[in-house]
Amino acid sequence: MAELSKNDEQQDATPNVSEVEVVDAHSETEAVAAIEAPVERGEPILQVRNLQKHFPLTQGILFKRQIGAVKAVDGVSFDLHQGETLGIVGESGCGKSTVAKLLMNLERPTAGEIFYKGQDITKLSGRALKAVRRNIQMVFQDPYTSLNPRMTVGDIIGEPFDIHPEVAPKGDRRRKVQELLDVVGLNPEYINRYPHQFSGGQRQRIGIARGLALNPEIIICDEPVSALDVSVQAQVINLMEKLQDEFNLSYIFIAHDLSIVRHISDRVGVMYLGKMAEIGTDTQIYDHPTHPYTQALLSAVPVPDPDAREHRERIILTGDVPSPANPPSGCRFRTRCWKAQDKCAEEVPLLAVPERFQGSDTPAAHESACHFAEEKDVVHAA
Amino acid sequence: MLLEVRDLHVEFRTRDGIARAVNGVTYGVDAGETLAVLGESGSGKSVTAQAVMGILDTPPGRITGGEILFQGRDLLKLKEEERRKVRGAEMAMIFQDALSSLNPVVCVGDQLGEMFVVHRGMGKKDARARAVELMDQVRIPGAKERVKDYPHQFSGGMRQRIMIAMAIALEPALIIADEPTTALDVTVQAQVMDLLAELQREYHMGLILITHDLGVVADVADRIAVMYAGRIVESAPVHDLYKAPAHPYTRGLLDSIPRLDQKGQELYAIKGLPPNLMHIPSGCAFHPRCPMARDVCRTDVPPPYEVSEDRASACHFWRECLDG
Ligand SMILES: Nc1ncnc2c1ncn2[C@@H]1O[C@H](COP(=O)(O)OP(=O)(O)OP(=O)(O)O)[C@@H](O)[C@H]1O
Ligand SMILES: Nc1ncnc2c1ncn2[C@@H]1O[C@H](COP(=O)(O)OP(=O)(O)O)[C@@H](O)[C@H]1O
Ligand code: SF4
Ligand code: SF4
Ligand SMILES: [Mg+2]
Ligand SMILES: [Mg+2]
Repeated sequence: MAELSKNDEQQDATPNVSEVEVVDAHSETEAVAAIEAPVERGEPILQVRNLQKHFPLTQGILFKRQIGAVKAVDGVSFDLHQGETLGIVGESGCGKSTVAKLLMNLERPTAGEIFYKGQDITKLSGRALKAVRRNIQMVFQDPYTSLNPRMTVGDIIGEPFDIHPEVAPKGDRRRKVQELLDVVGLNPEYINRYPHQFSGGQRQRIGIARGLALNPEIIICDEPVSALDVSVQAQVINLMEKLQDEFNLSYIFIAHDLSIVRHISDRVGVMYLGKMAEIGTDTQIYDHPTHPYTQALLSAVPVPDPDAREHRERIILTGDVPSPANPPSGCRFRTRCWKAQDKCAEEVPLLAVPERFQGSDTPAAHESACHFAEEKDVVHAA
Repeated sequence: MLLEVRDLHVEFRTRDGIARAVNGVTYGVDAGETLAVLGESGSGKSVTAQAVMGILDTPPGRITGGEILFQGRDLLKLKEEERRKVRGAEMAMIFQDALSSLNPVVCVGDQLGEMFVVHRGMGKKDARARAVELMDQVRIPGAKERVKDYPHQFSGGMRQRIMIAMAIALEPALIIADEPTTALDVTVQAQVMDLLAELQREYHMGLILITHDLGVVADVADRIAVMYAGRIVESAPVHDLYKAPAHPYTRGLLDSIPRLDQKGQELYAIKGLPPNLMHIPSGCAFHPRCPMARDVCRTDVPPPYEVSEDRASACHFWRECLDG
């Protein structure tokens, strides 16, 4: 019963966006059964299609009038495969966290679909939704504010069990929480301590333990190490990689540090102003980028090698990112793109394998939303 | 030397005890040179800079020892009034968070102009004209139209450029930039660093760049001083340090960052946690986390050993570290 999802012309010939096998569950029990069914490694587990989130812009205090919309996410499609890490990068405000919230069902999309094992989670309710919620968990950026300061570590990590008691029966909770503390490398005796008694890196481990509590299949990490010091960042990244293998997890890893994203990701999507500019494997994106924005972004990353100073090309973009309430027509990057031509203002470039690379097996043959996509290595010194 | 900090000590008296934030920092910078001060949060980078600028919170902070020689004068011996003349005119500082360092209720033109009114006795009209020139110089588009705008009306990158305009206004000999791009996106960071480097060349200023980003350091610094627990553990010309670090902490930092140009193996992680400044470990402060630590490290504080003419390392076993 495979069916191509509607309103998405971007799907043709795109290796990263697969066909959705929509599951028509006729009862809640069937829906839950589909959600609990295992997915084979490498198969799509999450399929996001043409996702949009527009926040209304209002004016007036008593009588609110809508005067426009912030197009935070404006037509994003991608797949997450079982067992992989998909990195999402892009500058502040491009919509990364909004995508995360939509996937977590914390925000309702304006349009689009999120298929989890063939079921659109934006349309689920009841037991089926609860089952999805258990299987998709999140780890947040700020280990200082995302943990309730008045709760003990044991209560924080065990809180998800209140909603899903089937995972850990009451009598078993303490042991389960201690096990989780051990798994993330914290002393199980810390169970009665409060968040302020821990360092930033330790708090992030607590957040990860909480994310693991319900044995989820997918963990969405929104800037999980950005607030941490370099030496502690490496500890947390290594832990996350170890847990992925151990528990067979799929990650969506959102970050603005492009080196960390390359390190942890199998595939990477680059977002600009609510849209996906380019998506591909880590080698395709970092070593063979074809979208001018990706190229500028990568070339701007300072690398820890003083010898690269003279030998790397720097693309310094002019101007600022335009407002998502009023994005440029055609290609959204055109106001800062050095290659922009008339066509760029008139036609929205679709996210697809550029025609010139189609059918070829060069690493440049991956999806890129640019009318004039061409390869340019900006990472390796000339 | 334009600026020489010698054996500086700063502590904070807090309810929980005395935090020894700076424990004998020595560094220097020449005119036209960029010194990067690298270290993790809490290592004392900003406190040292605040002591140099004379803007330390006192109390609870207290300078308990050392000298700060600026163009030959010990700033710690100057009266506050003389210090104030040095600040802004001869040395200026750029902060991480431009929004909270600019006055939110004064338009940027007046804030920039004020520098000329106060320090150069200029009239308001001339000062305003200079403000527009400065905004042009830091590449704010449409400077003439935007001179009356307030800080919140600018983007993060533009605000940081306005801070830079303010810092260079009186053509100081020294600029201290404390994590000037940490809050910015990489493409904006590149714009801002580019601008800073260009202005430094133009005015032949000394620049102290405080950062925790090993990439930024590699990109712009001439020399680097690595801080840990309030001390400089290694100082070296930037090329030498990246080629072969002479301190295990520096080595650990370099090994723990992932690479942009290739997919690496598992990251090296420095074990343990940064030190608590109320209870700095005995001997070498890094010893509880150091893979090379031996008995002597627990008892004897390593002095800055001379590695070569322009290089020093505060590690008893620097030679071994250097040899890899
Ligand atoms: N609740 C909301 N109401 C209105 N606008 C919003 C809301 N949440 C987000 N936005 C806007 O949507 C856009 C995308 O925001 P989002 O938080 O997803 O960005 P991001 O990519 O996560 O950025 P950062 O790197 O800074 O975390 C921004 O312009 C933001 O101001
Ligand atoms: N006003 C203050 N009161 C008390 N402690 C302070 C104050 N300012 C800084 N400190 C402490 O001094 C130490 C060094 O801080 P700082 O120089 O800001 O570190 P960084 O290297 O991150 O810039 C930290 O432990 C910090 O908490
Ligand atoms: S479509 Fe045009 S404006 Fe957009 S990235 Fe490509 S060349 Fe630049
Ligand atoms: S002195 Fe000892 S503990 Fe300190 S860095 Fe050197 S080897 Fe390590
Ligand atoms: Mg975000
Ligand atoms: Mg600081």
